[in-house]
Amino acid sequence: MNISRRNFLKLTGASAVGAGVAGTPLARAASKSKVVVIGGGTGGATTAKYLKIYAPEIDVTIVEPKSEYRRPYGSSEVITGQATMEDITISYDDLKSRYGVKFVQDVATDVDYDNKQVTTAGGTTLSYDRLVVSPGVSFDFDAIEGLTPELAESRIPHGWDATDQLLELKRQLHEVPENGTVIVGPPPNPYRCPPGPYERAGLIAQWLLDRGDKSPKVVILDPKNGFTTDYSMLHAWNDLYRFNIPEPARSKYSEDELAQLKTWDEPGPIEWVMGDLGGRILSVDAETMTVEAEAGTYKADMINIIPPLKAAKFAFDQDLVDESGWCPVDQKTFESTRHADVHVLGDSCIAGAMPKSGYAANSQAKVLAIQLRALLAGNPPVEPVFQNTCYALAGNTENGMFVADVFRLEDGRITRVDEQRYLPFEATKLQKKLAAVYQHNWMQAFTDDCFS
Amino acid sequence: MIRHQVIGWAAALGGSLWLATAHAETSRDADPQALMAAQTCAGCHGTEGYIEGSAYVPLAGMSRERFINAMESFADGSRPSTLMGPLARAFTDEEIAAMADYFSSLPKERPEETNAQGGDDS
Repeated sequence: MNISRRNFLKLTGASAVGAGVAGTPLARAASKSKVVVIGGGTGGATTAKYLKIYAPEIDVTIVEPKSEYRRPYGSSEVITGQATMEDITISYDDLKSRYGVKFVQDVATDVDYDNKQVTTAGGTTLSYDRLVVSPGVSFDFDAIEGLTPELAESRIPHGWDATDQLLELKRQLHEVPENGTVIVGPPPNPYRCPPGPYERAGLIAQWLLDRGDKSPKVVILDPKNGFTTDYSMLHAWNDLYRFNIPEPARSKYSEDELAQLKTWDEPGPIEWVMGDLGGRILSVDAETMTVEAEAGTYKADMINIIPPLKAAKFAFDQDLVDESGWCPVDQKTFESTRHADVHVLGDSCIAGAMPKSGYAANSQAKVLAIQLRALLAGNPPVEPVFQNTCYALAGNTENGMFVADVFRLEDGRITRVDEQRYLPFEATKLQKKLAAVYQHNWMQAFTDDCFS
Repeated sequence: MIRHQVIGWAAALGGSLWLATAHAETSRDADPQALMAAQTCAGCHGTEGYIEGSAYVPLAGMSRERFINAMESFADGSRPSTLMGPLARAFTDEEIAAMADYFSSLPKERPEETNAQGGDDS
């Protein structure tokens, strides 16, 4: 956790400049600068808003085909009825009227990196001094035999992009017969919203129990052996749902903690088939509603597979992606290492230890707004610090948990610097309830910070 | 621990940074390093620390002493928390001081935005 000498020098250098010109209109050197933002999601909207707060004289235009945003965070609650599609829909009105962000409601189709221009499907051409690309993710359906984009719109939705697929999943859940089986298939790393698939499994289990089912099944077929918040989530399930922690996962706990975990003779609804136990899904058959995993064949009444993820198609089309399927960027300024004056942030970029989460995109966006203001004024970028919090529910909506991290640049890589990141094992019922209260307050506070 | 390793930064930064931020009153006039530290709070506590009707405490206009006391007591565990303890421990003393200067320099009430220049032109 050493702050490198290089970073130390950068920090003090940047601060000296900042202090030296304080009181003079630092940002006004950037007057008439044009920033175009492709994508009105969490990363793009937050960048645009904060640019207008930090440097209102910069001309900021978002190119986004949709007229309103739907947030993926908290959207699994649409499936289980605690939230509606209206609840997860957010207006762009405040960005326009309160902050003066311009909108071009259209699809960006091409970037001319030499002439620094963006073209849209409708024929609009926009010039930029700096381009921000926050395009989100796409899904690799080819990775699982039998899975197709068409099936995702019908029998096997992923519901991982806050579209109407959530409503189809809700409909399917209501049609699961009494004591039926639901399969949830989390993707391999890296993917958007690391605790999300497990929270969804918990919410579905709780919904089936609340309906009155005595022995429903929620089987998690997972290519991985762990996930963010697993330490809190598995513990909560052990308490709430007669969940037995799989043998290979017991190493996540100390001897003392293991002694407090229960072993159930008649386990409850949730089964986690982790990677080492053959959880990786090989193929799916929508006709027979069966899933083939390394551990064997599973038949289900509802199948929710989240395919492996990669950067959005736009990032591929515009040559911003490397062989990993994601966008490499300078870790201090988020400038693409493939094209100059283009900054990529959010789920599609490679940001060291930061997860692909709405909070991470929001945090990167604020850092980027500070850096863009500096760069457009001819000043050096500032030493960044990032924060991420992901809240999750165990299923029971009174039992919350979180991961909370701070990140810094260390040797050029974004690195997590905090020590404790979860609620402690001995957390009280009140602390877990408070985490759930904060989660629900966070949805409003956070979306306001991005969009209002 | 970061908090202790970085303690030497204060001397290197000098007093001018804190003087610069103490009179900010708006984010656009704040020191970039103070903005950098303080932006980490906004994802929960609201943009520039302005928030209403929430379980999260507003930070805008909070006195410097109260902010620093809160962060120190979260960090040493004397004030119970869910996640603020570990987060407070992950920031340096200088960052916490910069956050405190920034938030205490802002008015308690969120000013009407005067940034709208153009808006929807599509």
